[in-house]
Amino acid sequence: MSAVIVAEQLTKWYGPRLAVDHVSFTVGAGEIMGLLGPNGSGKTTILRIFTGYLRPSSGTARIAGLDVVADAPAARRRVGYVPEDAPLYLGMGVREFLIFMGRLKGLTRASLGAAVDAATERLRLGPMRTAQIGRLSRGYRQRVAIAQALLGDPPLLILDEPTNGLDPRQIIEMRELIRSLGGERTIVVTSHILGEIQRVADRVAILLAGQLLGVHAVRASREGGRLRLRIRGEEERVSACLAGVPGVAAVRLESQRGSSPPVYLVDAEHPSVAEAVAGAVITAGFGLLSLESMPVDLEALFLKLTGDRAEAGG
Amino acid sequence: MRNFVTLLVKEEKAIFSSPIAFAIVAVYLLLMGYTFTLMLFLNRTAELVRVFFQAAVLFLLIVPVITMRLLAEERRNGTLEILLTSPVREIEIVLAKFAASLTLLGLMLSLTAVDAIVLGVYADPDWGPIYSGFLGLLLLAAALAAIGLAVSGLTSNQIVAAVVAMGVGILLWMIDSIGYLLPDPFDTIVTNLSLVAHFTPFATGAVFLSDLGFFLTVILVGLLVSMRTLARR
Repeated sequence: MSAVIVAEQLTKWYGPRLAVDHVSFTVGAGEIMGLLGPNGSGKTTILRIFTGYLRPSSGTARIAGLDVVADAPAARRRVGYVPEDAPLYLGMGVREFLIFMGRLKGLTRASLGAAVDAATERLRLGPMRTAQIGRLSRGYRQRVAIAQALLGDPPLLILDEPTNGLDPRQIIEMRELIRSLGGERTIVVTSHILGEIQRVADRVAILLAGQLLGVHAVRASREGGRLRLRIRGEEERVSACLAGVPGVAAVRLESQRGSSPPVYLVDAEHPSVAEAVAGAVITAGFGLLSLESMPVDLEALFLKLTGDRAEAGG
Repeated sequence: MRNFVTLLVKEEKAIFSSPIAFAIVAVYLLLMGYTFTLMLFLNRTAELVRVFFQAAVLFLLIVPVITMRLLAEERRNGTLEILLTSPVREIEIVLAKFAASLTLLGLMLSLTAVDAIVLGVYADPDWGPIYSGFLGLLLLAAALAAIGLAVSGLTSNQIVAAVVAMGVGILLWMIDSIGYLLPDPFDTIVTNLSLVAHFTPFATGAVFLSDLGFFLTVILVGLLVSMRTLARR
């Protein structure tokens, strides 16, 4: 997978304060990368460096091979950006704003109308196309902001806290939208909410106080996760039975206390494996006493990483 | 150039869809009409010198109100981030905003031209000072707009932008007074910074290249500072 985004030793000082501390990572084509961290961890600063809004103090940031400082205009043409809180010209109509942004992005007169129509349709803004942006709900405004980011069909989409201020239904819609946009283009999305990142990103970069603590795959946890089963039966036969279920990646015995039946941990490749595992255990005549689904706990990972750093610092 | 036109159209719409523009034009015309009528009946001479000075003083107060929102509003609303992360150059943003504010000021000046037409219809004025006076007013308005734009770029608070720009404009207007207290060569330097010192020849019918150069320099410095406020940090 070729890298669309490359950050190498990216560092940003705000006066005496170090906001981003030698951060390096890459994001491949079609990948959804989540930047996760508490407020003030440097997420937005990193995004702003990639959009050309801020200059790095040192290090390099490249988009599709273009340096965001040396090749700024060309790099900016390859980015669709939705800043936090989706700032928009509230006095403009939706279509008027999209045409304005399309022109700034260099769309020709011939392609502008089609691009605006496509973005309007993609974001389901049709009924609102003549509405004044200031009169739209928070969710619609977020959609307008994403629609402008899609104009010009940039290979990279950068979304800063896209679910901020949305109600639960709008959050679900936004999540689905982001996932639908992934694959065809690279997306970098920030959030300080673990669950949001876990649901949309393929990988997550965890940041704390400007430092990158680690980059972890979350696709597996979202798509499958781990099953925890307490099963009565002969251990070897039970393990063989579980391992034989399609979609089971690994089986491990967690513990066996006294005479109580043992607990098995099963790494599943997709959510429906749980049903198949239960069916296989019952069909084989074992006693299925409990079954729990345990997705990989990003929260625990985050706490562990940030805790480790705090201990190291303290 | 295409980006400039796109941004200019957006700015013109923003200015002329705002009730502020209409309030400013209305108040300006009311005060200028009052001054013109008063001067005409008191002096009974076919000249506009006092009208030009009245307009200049009004511009010191009005132009900052026009320019206060230009960059401060974009900064406060976060839309500046959208503009600066688009493939747009800072100079295009600054020039579009400057040109848009000049459009409104030009409209106000052209409406003041009615005074000259009245003089032309009912008397035989000396047209030289009238032409130069309008040129001087246009240059003064442009210089104040450039100052206002630069100040607007330094803050996200429109009221602060207006008050500071007003302060800078008024200080530059009357800074020549302090020149009398200063030793040579500071007196000359300070006097040459004065807006009124460079505007007076225009208002009275004398056009000097040095005065023209002064206003163009102030405009250029204002626009450069405006661009600097947009520079990526």
